[in-house]
Amino acid sequence: MPIEDEPVLGRTVDSDDTAARPLVERIRQLVTGQPFGVLCTHGENLAYGSLVAFAFTGDLRYAVFATPVATRKYRLLSEHQEVALVVDDRPRHQNDMMKVEAVTATGRAEEIRGAPEMDDPVQLLLARHPQLKNFLDARSSALFRIRIARFLHVSRFQEVNQWVPQDPS
Amino acid sequence: MGSARSLVVPLAAAGQQESHQVGGKARTLGRLIGAGFRVPKGFCITVDAYERFIAASDLAATIQMELGRKPLAEMRWEEIWDAALRIRSAFLAAPLPADIAGPIVAAYRALGAGSLAVRSSAPGEDGAEQSHAGLHESLVGVEGEQGLLDAVRIVWASLWSDAALLYRKELGMDVSRSRMAVVVQDFVPANVSGVGFGIDPRRPSEDRAMVEAVPGFCEDLVSGAVDPDRWIMKRSTGEIVEWSPGTRESGTASPLLEREDLDVLHRALRSVEELLGCPPDVEWTDRAANLTLLQARPVTGVTVEGDDERAWYLSLRPNQGRLDALCTRVTEELIPELEAEGQRFAATDLTTLDDDALADAIDERRESLARWKTIYRDEFIPFAHGVRRLGMYYNDAVRPDDPYEFTVILGNQPMIASERNAALERLAGSLREDPQLIRGLEGLADSGRIRDRAGWRQEMDALPASPAAEAFKPAFEAFLDHYMNIAFDDQALDDRPDLTLGVVMELARGGERKMAEAGGADPAALERRLLEAVGPDRREEAVNVIRIGRLSWQLRDDDNILMGRLENQLQHALHLAAERLVEAGRLEGDARFGTGAAGPLAAALRDRAGGRVQLPLLEAPACHGTALPPGSTPRQMIGQPAAPGLATGPVRIVRDAEDFTRFRRGEVMVCDAIQPSVTHLVPLACAIIERRGGMLIHGAIIARELGLPCVNGVANAADLLKNGDLVTVDGHLGIVTVGPPEFDLERGQTANPSARE
Repeated sequence: MPIEDEPVLGRTVDSDDTAARPLVERIRQLVTGQPFGVLCTHGENLAYGSLVAFAFTGDLRYAVFATPVATRKYRLLSEHQEVALVVDDRPRHQNDMMKVEAVTATGRAEEIRGAPEMDDPVQLLLARHPQLKNFLDARSSALFRIRIARFLHVSRFQEVNQWVPQDPS
Repeated sequence: MGSARSLVVPLAAAGQQESHQVGGKARTLGRLIGAGFRVPKGFCITVDAYERFIAASDLAATIQMELGRKPLAEMRWEEIWDAALRIRSAFLAAPLPADIAGPIVAAYRALGAGSLAVRSSAPGEDGAEQSHAGLHESLVGVEGEQGLLDAVRIVWASLWSDAALLYRKELGMDVSRSRMAVVVQDFVPANVSGVGFGIDPRRPSEDRAMVEAVPGFCEDLVSGAVDPDRWIMKRSTGEIVEWSPGTRESGTASPLLEREDLDVLHRALRSVEELLGCPPDVEWTDRAANLTLLQARPVTGVTVEGDDERAWYLSLRPNQGRLDALCTRVTEELIPELEAEGQRFAATDLTTLDDDALADAIDERRESLARWKTIYRDEFIPFAHGVRRLGMYYNDAVRPDDPYEFTVILGNQPMIASERNAALERLAGSLREDPQLIRGLEGLADSGRIRDRAGWRQEMDALPASPAAEAFKPAFEAFLDHYMNIAFDDQALDDRPDLTLGVVMELARGGERKMAEAGGADPAALERRLLEAVGPDRREEAVNVIRIGRLSWQLRDDDNILMGRLENQLQHALHLAAERLVEAGRLEGDARFGTGAAGPLAAALRDRAGGRVQLPLLEAPACHGTALPPGSTPRQMIGQPAAPGLATGPVRIVRDAEDFTRFRRGEVMVCDAIQPSVTHLVPLACAIIERRGGMLIHGAIIARELGLPCVNGVANAADLLKNGDLVTVDGHLGIVTVGPPEFDLERGQTANPSARE
């Protein structure tokens, strides 16, 4: 119905809002901008969370992290592969909840053992966290790769969009 | 940042303070006092007081939530107004800590505790590059300590007023950095006030200065409520070049200012210019030797009244004087005239007209519609602000927890749309009483056989005779004639019985709809609450604010429907023209057209020797907001909590009239904006989602009336959702959740066999 209604104001005002960027770019910026995230695991009918240093592959299909084997999270991961990794940029917007962005990346964590499969993930993690070299070299460290099922991106406190990394094949 | 800085400084001392501490207005007033000008006594509440108040009340988070809900560039002005109203209510509700209130009250007592003017003084507000006049609030006639403390909070809140938010980029607004100082002065009553410009802002390169004067207070001039007398004088000599009298109710009166008054004003303008170093824009009151300056700032080349829609919006801001005048004109002249125009068109039997006369009828209807669209914008929309005026008035007086409590006062208004829904329910009720008739009508709406009145009558005649059928047929036709004589999606709805029968049948299949509980809120009780809050002195004023609020609320719907009737009459003429041209083989039988085809159709009727007719294509529906890239799906969308409630159902997107018959009871209605012409579908819905936002728009009004959850202001809702998508509409929080919670993707992932040994 073409009855003229009130004009849309603000359309003449340029938006500096980050929402104009494609979702995948917002996710990429978030996970490459933040070094740490909370890894959520489960087992023995209980939930568990731990802060991990991570790195994502360029196509965002995988994330890698390492953990000492004598840990609760290693034991849980050995039993259950289903994980979620929560990454957010709270440190950038400590005083403005509405500007905080977060992603929950869900997927399966697989332990990677032995060369040649080992090289790339190690380099990926080291490029992001060079200080972890000794940690990664240690025989008691285990390297995990999360195969990402989906990203749930949260902005403006309540706005949630899903993005599923595409399988190149 | 020294913690010992004063929260309050005498106005006379404000001239020595930094502008970022006392704001431009206070600093200039201080300098005027220092230079010996007569300025009302007063003090300045510095930005430190604002900062402390914000910190103590945690209002920064409230502002951030309001402004961060969606990109401001995607907010319509109704949503911006809503955000500003909620921020204002939060400011008024936040207690003023004693360490802030104490110094303010002490300064007030020292001033003599009389009637006050309380004005904004935002840092940077009165800079030479831009004027922000009118974006922030000023209150005059403020009385008493509590009145002052309330006024200060209202002025602080106006840092985030709807007008200011529209200019947020120009103002550089930022929750963490924006601050506001406040000027408190004795309120000087005078019989004449005005403004003066050291140069004529419209012709700044010429030797011209300008003075405007109104009877009474300067606020009436600044707000545009009173038309001023205007003098143009030579900037160099003060010689009067031009005088134009303002329009007065009593007719043309003698000039408000004498020669001597103008000489004094001219000298004052020159002196202020020397002080400020640039031509000033001065607000003044009283005359000759008693001339008193209320404020001064540099004349700005470009004021906020730019050339975009924002200036128009600012002109709509509710002002009681303007609303009173509009109320009389809209209710007593325009609405009856609009209604009569629709009836006059409807009374013409177009089929008796020859082609030339039909072309004339099309032109007349097209021109009438165009004229009424102008009136709609210039008078109906401004009058609709009567409801906003009531909202502010109610909230200031009553301080309710819910800033929309005032809408209860507007309940039980006789609106055309509500009457129509009640009539529709009666039709559905009559079908429910006769299952045999329902069975007879089953499938008819979708059959394609009743897409016009003739088909409808034929089908009804073929039904087995029964008293119910005999009663239903005329009742249904009367409903079409009386309520569906409007247009939607370029369809004259009364010409399409199928579109309405589908809705009636769907309503009849379910039980009678329960209307929303009033929730204990009684319009009369809230009205009493308002009248008690304002006291006997302001009773008459409050009664008038309520009266205008109710009328403007009622007309908000009715004017749209009456406009829809005019459009419907234009559509009738266009369809008849198209029929004739199809018969003559000059137009495709299935041609679709909108009102934009009126010109070509009329021309084709007149040009009998003409060939085939080309009609303009229908405009594609606009896409609003930011689209999601491929591969992304919304999981949770946010908007405004426009009507409370929680409901889950499949999505039904209503884009055009054909969608009417597809609508099933229990679906979630998703549309760009609920127009009054589609509100008859709402009783079928379990919830509403709209792209257009606002607490006082049609969809929100009817959802609250029916007790349905409504979330509006959801960017791109109709483009991001698909028919059949399961959504949950949370009208309490303003959230739409898409799909059930599921882990299909996670479960579908097969574990990499190489991961385990």
